[in-house]
Amino acid sequence: MEALVTVENLVKTYGAGANEVQALCGVSMEVRAGEVLVMMGPSGSGKTTLISILGGILTATSGSVKIDGREIVGLPEKHLPALRKELFGFIFQGFNLFPALTAVENVSIMCQLKGVRNPRQRAAELLESVGLQEKLKSYPADLSGGQKQRVAIARALAGEPRIILADEPTAALDSVSGRTVLEIMSGLAREKNRAVVIVTHDPRVLDYCDRIVHIEDGRVGREEVHNQREKVA
Amino acid sequence: MNILAWKNLLHDRVRLVVTLTGIVFALVLIAVQFGMFLGFLDTSANIVEHNAAELWISAPGIPHVNGGSPIAEAKRWKAMQVEGVEKAVSFTLFFLNWKLPNGAFESCQIAGFDLDSGLGAPWNVVAGSVEDLRGEDTVFVDELYKKKLGVSKVGDTLELNGKRARVVGFTRGIRSFTTAPYVFTSFKNAQTYMRLREDETIFILVKTKPGADVAAVKAGLQATVAGVEVFTHQEMLERTQAYWVFGTGAGTTTLMGAVLGLLVGIVVVAQTIYAATIDHLKEFGTLKAMGATNGQIYRVIILQAVLAAVMGYGLGITIALFVVNSTSDTDLLIKLPAEAAMGIFGLTLFMCMSASLLSIRKATTIDPAMVFRG
Repeated sequence: MEALVTVENLVKTYGAGANEVQALCGVSMEVRAGEVLVMMGPSGSGKTTLISILGGILTATSGSVKIDGREIVGLPEKHLPALRKELFGFIFQGFNLFPALTAVENVSIMCQLKGVRNPRQRAAELLESVGLQEKLKSYPADLSGGQKQRVAIARALAGEPRIILADEPTAALDSVSGRTVLEIMSGLAREKNRAVVIVTHDPRVLDYCDRIVHIEDGRVGREEVHNQREKVA
Repeated sequence: MNILAWKNLLHDRVRLVVTLTGIVFALVLIAVQFGMFLGFLDTSANIVEHNAAELWISAPGIPHVNGGSPIAEAKRWKAMQVEGVEKAVSFTLFFLNWKLPNGAFESCQIAGFDLDSGLGAPWNVVAGSVEDLRGEDTVFVDELYKKKLGVSKVGDTLELNGKRARVVGFTRGIRSFTTAPYVFTSFKNAQTYMRLREDETIFILVKTKPGADVAAVKAGLQATVAGVEVFTHQEMLERTQAYWVFGTGAGTTTLMGAVLGLLVGIVVVAQTIYAATIDHLKEFGTLKAMGATNGQIYRVIILQAVLAAVMGYGLGITIALFVVNSTSDTDLLIKLPAEAAMGIFGLTLFMCMSASLLSIRKATTIDPAMVFRG
C-alpha cells in the first residue's frame, strides 16, 4: 500500500518558558491508503494533538507532515481551510452535528462547502449509503447515537476525502451501533482506498483495524500489525 | 450556509423572541422619537411652510415667526417700488387671549391674512369658506382644538381679546407647536382684535414677479425699506424651526431619545447575538475544521443579524405605524414618511450588523482544534 501520509520527526510544543509543554517529541509514522490505522494511548499522550496536526487543524512546531507528497507544516494559516476541505473528513466523538439542521441539511452543508452542484441530492445519496434513507428529514435530537454518527460519517464523506480522521467515533455508541459504524469505516478503507485514522480507547475497534500505533508521552511506542480482514471474516 | 443562519436563528425560539423584542423596542423608540422630531419641525413652522410668500419683511431681530412686533404698514408701499416685487401684503401673527364659554381664558395665535392675495390663508379647510372671513368678527379654527377653544360648530360665537369672534369655518390638522392654537381671520379683523393701529402690521409678505431673482429682490428691499429685516421663505422657516425645535430643547430631547433607542437596540441585540454565537461556538469550530473559511463563518453570523433585522423591522415598523396613526387626531404630530421608514430600515440593519461585530470577533478566535475536545 502507498503511503498517503508521511510524518517525520514531528514536534509540537505548547506554551513557552517555564510553562512549556512538549506534546509531541519527534513523532515519525506513515498512514497508507486503504488501511485503517488505530492510534491508542493514555490520556495526555499526544494522540489528539497528532490527529489535529495531521488534519491541518493545528500547526506543528517543527518536523514534517507530507500528505500525498505535499508538505503541510509551515503552510500559511490561510491555506489550511482549503486543505482540510480537499483532503480530510472528520468524525468526532460528540458527533458535532448542527442541531438546527436535519440530517440531510447537515450533510448538504459540507457538499456546499465542497462546491457540489446539487448538494441536497448528493447528501441524500450519502445518507442512503450509510443506511439512513428513512431519516433524511430527522433532526439530530430525534436520532440515536449510532444514527448520529452515521450522519457524521456521511458528512465526512461529502467532501470526497482521501483521509478520514476519527476521534473516538464509537465512545458514545452501544455495541451494535459501534460495530455498524466501524463496518462502514473499514469499508471505506477497503472499498474506496481511503486512509482511515482512528484515535480510540475502545477495544472493539481493534477487530476492524490493520495497524495499531501506540502513542506514549508524545512518542510513537509500539506498532502492531493486525489483519482485520481475516478477523472480521 | 445560508440555511444554517436561518435555522440557527429559528431553532432557539426563546432567544429569537428576546432578540426580536430588543430590535422592536429599539425600532419603535427610534421611529416614534424621530417621528416626533419631524412633527416638531413641521408644526413649529407650518404657518411659514404653507405660506406662498417668497420674502417676509418684519421688525428687525425677531427670533421667530411667532415673535413679531408691529411695523408701519406704509412700508408696504416702499416695498412695492422695489424691482421684482409683484405683491406686498400685510400679515399678522400674534398671541391673544381667547375667552371660553365658562369664562376661563386660553391663549391663541391670531393669523390675519390678506384675503385678496390669499398669502397666509388657512389650508385644509373642511368647513366653511375662506371668503366668509370677509365678514366682520369672523374666524376659522382647527378641528383639533375645538374642545380646547370651547367651539363645537360653525356659527358658535366666543370672545377674542375682548371682542366678539364668530366661527365661520374649520380647518383640519393645522397644529401649533405651542399650546396656543392658530385662529385665522382677515388682516382687517386681526388689526381690530390685536388693537393695532390702522397703519400698523406685523409682517409684510412679498410675492416676486415670475423669473425674478429672489436674492436680488431681498437685497433691494433691505436697501429700500428702512428699519426692517427681510427674510427669504427658507430663512424664516429655518429661524422659526431652530428657535422652537432646538432653542427650547424639544428637538434635542427627541433626537436624543432616538439615539438612545439605537444604543439600547445595539446593546440588546449584541448581547443576544453574542450569546447565540457562544452557544454555537462548537458548531462554528466544526465548520472551520470542515474547511469553512473565516469569511464563510462571518457570513453566517452577519446573515443571522440581517435576518433578525428584517424580522424585527417588519414587526417594529407595524407597531410604529400604529402609534403614528393613533396620534393623527391629537395635537401631537408624529410623522413617519416613507423616506424616514426606509432610513430606519437602514438604521436597523446597521444596528444589528454592528451588534454582530462582537460575535465576529469571537468567531475569529475559534480554535478548530476545539472540536476534538469532547
